[in-house]
Amino acid sequence: MNETDVERQRVLKARAAVLAREPEKSGAEGERIEIIEFLLADERYAIESVYIGEVYPLKNFTPLPCTPAFVLGVINMRGKILSVVDLRIFFDLPNRGLSDLNKVIILHDGGMEFGILADAIIAARWISRSSLFSSLPTLTEIRAEYLLGVTKERLVVLDGGKILSGPDIVVHEEV
Amino acid sequence: MTDKDAEFLKKLLVTFKMEADEHLKGMCSGLLDLEKGVAPEQRVELVENVFREAHSLKGAARAVNLVEIESLCQALESVFALVKKDVLPTSPGLFDLLQEALDLLTRILPDAGAERTQDAKALQRQLISRLEEAARGRSGESESRGNGGETKGRNGETEKNRNGESEKRGNGEEEQMEEVSPIPPLPDSPVQEVTPLLPLSDSPVQKVYIRVSTSRLTSLLLQSEEMLSAKLASSQRVLDMRTVGTIFGAWKKEWARVGPQVQELRSYGRGAGHEAVDRKRSLARLLDFLEWNNTVVTSLEARFTVEVKSAERDARALGSMVDNLLDDMKKVLMFPFSSLLEILPKIVRDLSRENGKKIDLTISGDEIEIDRRILEEMKDPLLHLVRNCIDHGIESSAERKAKGKPPRGTISVTVLPKDDKVELTISDDGGGIPLEDVRSALLESRTLSGDTVAELSNPELLNYVFQSGITTSPIITEISGRGLGLAIVREKVEKLGGTVSVETATDFGTTFRIVLPLTVATFRGILVRLGERLFVLPAMYVARVLRVKPEDVKSVESRETITLDGEPVAMARLASVLELPETNAGADAVVLLPMVLLAASGTRIAFTVDEILGELEVLLKGLGSQLSRVRNVAGATVLGNGQIAPILNVTDLLKSAVKIAAFSSLRSLDSATVSADRPRSVLVVEDSITTRTLLKNILESSGYAVVTAVDGADGFTRLKSGTFDIVVSDVDMPRMNGFELTAKIRADGKYGNLPVVLVTALASKEDRERGIDSGANAYIVKSSFDQSNLLEVMRKLI
Repeated sequence: MNETDVERQRVLKARAAVLAREPEKSGAEGERIEIIEFLLADERYAIESVYIGEVYPLKNFTPLPCTPAFVLGVINMRGKILSVVDLRIFFDLPNRGLSDLNKVIILHDGGMEFGILADAIIAARWISRSSLFSSLPTLTEIRAEYLLGVTKERLVVLDGGKILSGPDIVVHEEV
Repeated sequence: MTDKDAEFLKKLLVTFKMEADEHLKGMCSGLLDLEKGVAPEQRVELVENVFREAHSLKGAARAVNLVEIESLCQALESVFALVKKDVLPTSPGLFDLLQEALDLLTRILPDAGAERTQDAKALQRQLISRLEEAARGRSGESESRGNGGETKGRNGETEKNRNGESEKRGNGEEEQMEEVSPIPPLPDSPVQEVTPLLPLSDSPVQKVYIRVSTSRLTSLLLQSEEMLSAKLASSQRVLDMRTVGTIFGAWKKEWARVGPQVQELRSYGRGAGHEAVDRKRSLARLLDFLEWNNTVVTSLEARFTVEVKSAERDARALGSMVDNLLDDMKKVLMFPFSSLLEILPKIVRDLSRENGKKIDLTISGDEIEIDRRILEEMKDPLLHLVRNCIDHGIESSAERKAKGKPPRGTISVTVLPKDDKVELTISDDGGGIPLEDVRSALLESRTLSGDTVAELSNPELLNYVFQSGITTSPIITEISGRGLGLAIVREKVEKLGGTVSVETATDFGTTFRIVLPLTVATFRGILVRLGERLFVLPAMYVARVLRVKPEDVKSVESRETITLDGEPVAMARLASVLELPETNAGADAVVLLPMVLLAASGTRIAFTVDEILGELEVLLKGLGSQLSRVRNVAGATVLGNGQIAPILNVTDLLKSAVKIAAFSSLRSLDSATVSADRPRSVLVVEDSITTRTLLKNILESSGYAVVTAVDGADGFTRLKSGTFDIVVSDVDMPRMNGFELTAKIRADGKYGNLPVVLVTALASKEDRERGIDSGANAYIVKSSFDQSNLLEVMRKLI
């Protein structure tokens, strides 16, 4: 074995070790959920992956007139038209500078489907539902009804189901 | 039961419900025809049919273990068997009882298989015993109704008969195969029969029919409609390629111009001496290269021309393929009107009973086919109009007699093809719409001034019956009279791209005419531009496009109007109706204002736009489930270049325009004059579309003229094609980052001191230093971005 092979073996072993690591204390009691962690205006959030259809790069969008400010516009997703929501505005989060927001996470559950803006996708991982704490009022400005909980690393896990089914997100306006 | 069995039973139940629905409809329409009275030989056939339907339904119910339905069918069948043998005369009471039984079946079918309440069971037991009593020869109308006709008892015979019949049976399943309803049921059942299944018999060429669920067909249609964007895209590609092709022309011209110089150079090389030989050699090389270049470009051009030609051919072929496919797909989803109109006989029968009126219904042209989606949408408007006829239109028999009219009223529903459209008329021979009542209702609603109302002519007045809140019915009944129905009818019809009108004559009746398109898939639209945004206006609402001189815009009662064919027409600005910032497209001198005259629901308003780009074929798409209804926007369409353009809702636009006019005062056109100074121009270079749009909006609303670029390389190209006062650039971008762009600008003497502002997520000291090193004038960190800060920095730099 030459030098590079040794090096290669070492890297592969290290990777195998990471992969073989016991997932975060598979808490005896408890349902485990897969979450996708993403960056939104320099803050990290997560959402259950069951509600995520796909992640789509935002190359172009068409703004729509007469819609609430939280609706960025619509995108053409392989021939299907889908609306994109800016959660920062929907949640009334204070404006924290300029961020890229060039990813769209498509949320769906049965009937409802729309995209939310994100800066970047960080990771996907499994957590135990019971490991979530209910949020502290000072931790995030997001209303408690849309939160699933907070991990011990202070990662805010959004309730995808509530966001999708909440009455406030649906736009239905007559003249 | 195991899960698998349960799953299987569930599937069986779905199939059963579908089938049962058809049998029920068959029985129902058969009974209605029988009740109307028909010729003896036809009667035999009808009775036979009804009997078979009941029998088949019983068999089907038994197969899926639905004892309750089976027993009800058994009772029905016994009655039919006696009618068939002519031992039980039919009476109005018997028909009522039978219809009641069918109603019960219709009600319990959707929940078939589920546990039912005691009440429901008791109701069914009571109905079965009433049916049995009727079969035993007693009146069909039991004690609860009490005014039935008489039938003499033939108990023994009936009993024997019943037993005989039920023994013979048991082979119901085979018989079911022949049982088909000729009319496909509409929306309630997921799978629909397209054409009657003919028994496999003598005819040599058998047409074969299969059942395909409409949801699957609809999804196929949607996918075929998607192909339309492929067609549009490919013609767009051809256009793009032609544009590229013109570059060759420019090149040719240039080459022709330098041709003499090249020749001259060739001769220049001639001469003597060492130097001359060297020069000659390199010159020859250069000239060879130029010649080679010429050959390559020329052959490239030839090749490209061929490619453009074949692309054109492909686009054409694809175009006709897509058109044919769509045409055929639409035909697959065409349904006869009968599938919608078949519900009417029963409704007319039941409602006229409730109202104590005698009404006949005639239907004609129901074999004409139309897009299924239109039929579905038309169900409510149709029911509403028919109810109106029964409730308000047709008088009671006594009233009719007093007027010298036949005691039975008639409602006729007629379908007629009309060019590429269909006309559906619903008329009654009743009392007509009392116009004076409409006038007083209109006065009461206070939508118009008293004088205006008094001046309205009859046809104008009639138009107001479609306005919500206008009802002439003095009492609000359960059926109609709330003054909302006709407004909904019009909204639905217009949404489908159709029109509705009404004619009425006192004591002669009322006729509603609805003209509908045959398909909903695509329509013509007018593409307009507002600033940089594109919108589509459905062509069917565009009465005209026009150009108006600014001085011809006059204010009447402090509202802007234009004059068209000698008549004043209200004017509105599309941008302000859509709540968009007012744009000033023409900038220097607006010679003529482009306008689109929109007309719907009897209102017409001219809307100003920045530009009218042309007419195109569009496919209406929904905006997704989150945008359930957006004011003024009906949907969106994908243009040939893949861009989305919102399709505007004209009915909404007209309403919004009226609303805005009511609140805003006159604003003269020249208030929008541009300031004398040329606006400062900014080049924004940023790869994220959201940030790019945000920066553009901030800068534009502060009075800058903004051009955007998607990365450094694009930015540098744009920089060369225009004049800019300042560059605002992101740092982290593909192809060429902000540092490289800045360095490149600084290296090019032409731009010398052009100020560059870097806006970046990189906040470290090193990055900042690097930015300054590359020659940027300012460095703004995104995390602490604040628009006033950016504007402040920019003001300092220019």
